[in-house]
Amino acid sequence: MKNTLKGTLIAAAFAVGLTPLLNTSSIARDITIDLSGEPATMDPHKQWNPTSYYVYRNIFDNVLTRDNDGQIVGQIATSWKQTSESTLELTIREGVSFHDGEVLKPSDVVFSVKRITNKDFGSQQLGQFNKIVDASAKGNVVTLTTAGPYPALMAQLVKLSIVPEHVVEAVGDDAFNAAPIGSGAYAFSEWDRGVSVTLARNENYWGEKGPFDKAIFRAVTDPATRVADLQAGTADLVVSIDSDAAAQLSSNSAVKVLSAPTERVAFMGMNLDKPPFNNKEMRKAASLAIDRLGITEGLLQAGEIPMAQLSSPAHFGYNPNIKPFEYDLAAAKVITAANADLASTPATLATAPVFDQRIVQAIQQMLNDAGFNVSISMTDMPTFLGIVRSDPADNSELNFGRWSCACQDADGIAYPLLHSASNWSRLNLSEIDALLETARSSMDLDVRQAAYNEVHQMVRDNYYSLPLYQAAVLYGSTSGLNFKPTANESMFLNRMSISE
Amino acid sequence: MLRFLLQRGGQALIAVFGVVTLVFFIQRITGDPTALLLPETATQADIEAMRATLGLDRPLLAQYINFLGDMAHFDLGRSFVQNASVEEIIVSRIPETLQLAAGALVVALLIGLPLGLLMALTKGRFISRWIMGIVLACQSMPTFWSGIMMILVFGVWLRWLPSSGTGTLSHLIMPSIALGLLSLATYARITRSAVVDEMGKDYVRSALARGVGTKRLVTKHLMRNSLIPIISITALELSQLLAGAVIVETVFAWPGLGLLTVQSIAARDFVVVQAVVLLGAFVTIFANLAADILYSIVDPRVRLSV
Repeated sequence: MKNTLKGTLIAAAFAVGLTPLLNTSSIARDITIDLSGEPATMDPHKQWNPTSYYVYRNIFDNVLTRDNDGQIVGQIATSWKQTSESTLELTIREGVSFHDGEVLKPSDVVFSVKRITNKDFGSQQLGQFNKIVDASAKGNVVTLTTAGPYPALMAQLVKLSIVPEHVVEAVGDDAFNAAPIGSGAYAFSEWDRGVSVTLARNENYWGEKGPFDKAIFRAVTDPATRVADLQAGTADLVVSIDSDAAAQLSSNSAVKVLSAPTERVAFMGMNLDKPPFNNKEMRKAASLAIDRLGITEGLLQAGEIPMAQLSSPAHFGYNPNIKPFEYDLAAAKVITAANADLASTPATLATAPVFDQRIVQAIQQMLNDAGFNVSISMTDMPTFLGIVRSDPADNSELNFGRWSCACQDADGIAYPLLHSASNWSRLNLSEIDALLETARSSMDLDVRQAAYNEVHQMVRDNYYSLPLYQAAVLYGSTSGLNFKPTANESMFLNRMSISE
Repeated sequence: MLRFLLQRGGQALIAVFGVVTLVFFIQRITGDPTALLLPETATQADIEAMRATLGLDRPLLAQYINFLGDMAHFDLGRSFVQNASVEEIIVSRIPETLQLAAGALVVALLIGLPLGLLMALTKGRFISRWIMGIVLACQSMPTFWSGIMMILVFGVWLRWLPSSGTGTLSHLIMPSIALGLLSLATYARITRSAVVDEMGKDYVRSALARGVGTKRLVTKHLMRNSLIPIISITALELSQLLAGAVIVETVFAWPGLGLLTVQSIAARDFVVVQAVVLLGAFVTIFANLAADILYSIVDPRVRLSV
């Protein structure tokens, strides 16, 4: 009896002693994240679709990164210097180790650059880095040489992950993809194909360590199931939910909805070589007829922001002085009534299943209410891409699109959509081409900004394209998880925290 | 028997060849997949380079002959998206789909057959009409709806079962029921009509006149002689289960071939989609071949009608 009492007292004292520790917010725990699909790859030099990027970006460090405010800051490079218009010197961080214990060397940075720019390697990201023609290392400095001035290089280096040369060379690309080794805040642990990828905290990380022991990224394709998992407590964070699900979650105090505007811009492209939109007044009428606020606040409701230029506040090159487009159906009707023959010309609005058809149908309805004769042409994605990239004669009169370059630089959106050399562009205007070339090649930020200001103003004044809104992304999380969504849709585990 | 097997086997091979050819040409005439694999900012040169990497720049006939050669060697190709061999990807998913299909078949057979038999034995009575109402409700509920409802009730509200995923027997329960409900209704209705047909035959009346008990009548005579339509429907149901698995696996995040198909379509991984379509076609063709062979065993008259 005495012994039992003694034992109980010792256990109670032990429990009391431990209680404060258990109540602290630094309890180690795991996090389960529901993604909208399985990561396609763990090799950061292959695919860069969001589901892969969410995961492998935690395994690897990049040359540069963006902080939560979207500013470019160093990661593997601690500082950088543009030594000429086409050469950039990067000072490489010392004391960084890969997850296998080997030190990350400048030669790994050179290897990573050469690997992703090697045409035979066949990276889907080649187009983002193919301006880099050489990379070399001397001491702890890596020099990148570009084919001429390339001001968007810094924005692209934010996406360049450093892979260990000694591992890739030893095991080959396939084995590296199956079991990647990086230097990031989390190390690869297990890939249960079709089910989940598990990462474990890198206890030797040089920077801010992650708050979770393990992170489990699951592939849950159905958004309703992701929301159910969150409500059932089997997931801590779920991605890509819609506004209906967000409304459903708002009544549950155990969870919360997080939203952030992204760098994706939705727009309506117009065929400037075919009636009715080869006429500026018709383009103006179309713009007046579209209720952008109705679309963002009535249909989407996720925090989207109406835009009047082909860029967003998340991009370098955004012009805050561009006046918003106004919605004035009566004024649109006056214009179409005055040009009745032109307005009634049949126009096709090309779309594909991947786009939100609520928006496409709303736009069709708004244009037809104003007196246009618009019909929707829904095709599979390859056919849609074939149509919108074809010559003006074969191209549709209208098309809906959402553009992201993942670079947060206006060059990545304005150039492909407006420069005559791009097969996406409906415009063939030497003045705009020249401005876009200047912005693409000048290393002077003021010169670049001035060029984009002018481009955006010309597009706004002449309705060459109809920007619609800056898209937003919605996440659901448990109420105790602190996570700040960013415009580039990254998900850094070591920037999250838990409050109990 | 050998002649019968050779003829049915030959027909199956012709069907396989037709499916392989159709899949190849339909994939090619619906558009160039190369552009889908690259970022929107890719230039025409990037697209051309990717076409060369994938071998899509070669003449269509050359691609077709190469494709046939690969199929003959069971080489399904390589996923450019997942950087892995398609065979490896598919093989990793087959056990999950088989597990789900087996679970669904168990649900369908264990509940569907007794319900069908009960409906036949109580034909014209209230209980028969009541069961038929339930069966029709099962058949009418779309799987994506019944799946989500089950998740809501048993996963979110009651928290009795995991809302999604795989790994334990409890994970299998809801997906099996969701997928099995459709087949359950089919089995119940087929069993009912087959048993009702048999019950009108002379041998049943004779057995009843001889005083054979209901239990013996059902197990020894009625069910045995009603097997042909049930075997036949099982062959068809296998392909229905594969088709239904696309939705059920998506709703329950069950990592089988159905979810793989959805994910591959979303990721524009056309080589994997092609392999899954071919696999589905092969399963249907060979399930029907197996059903034909089973008929001939259960009912030898089938062979005579070759």
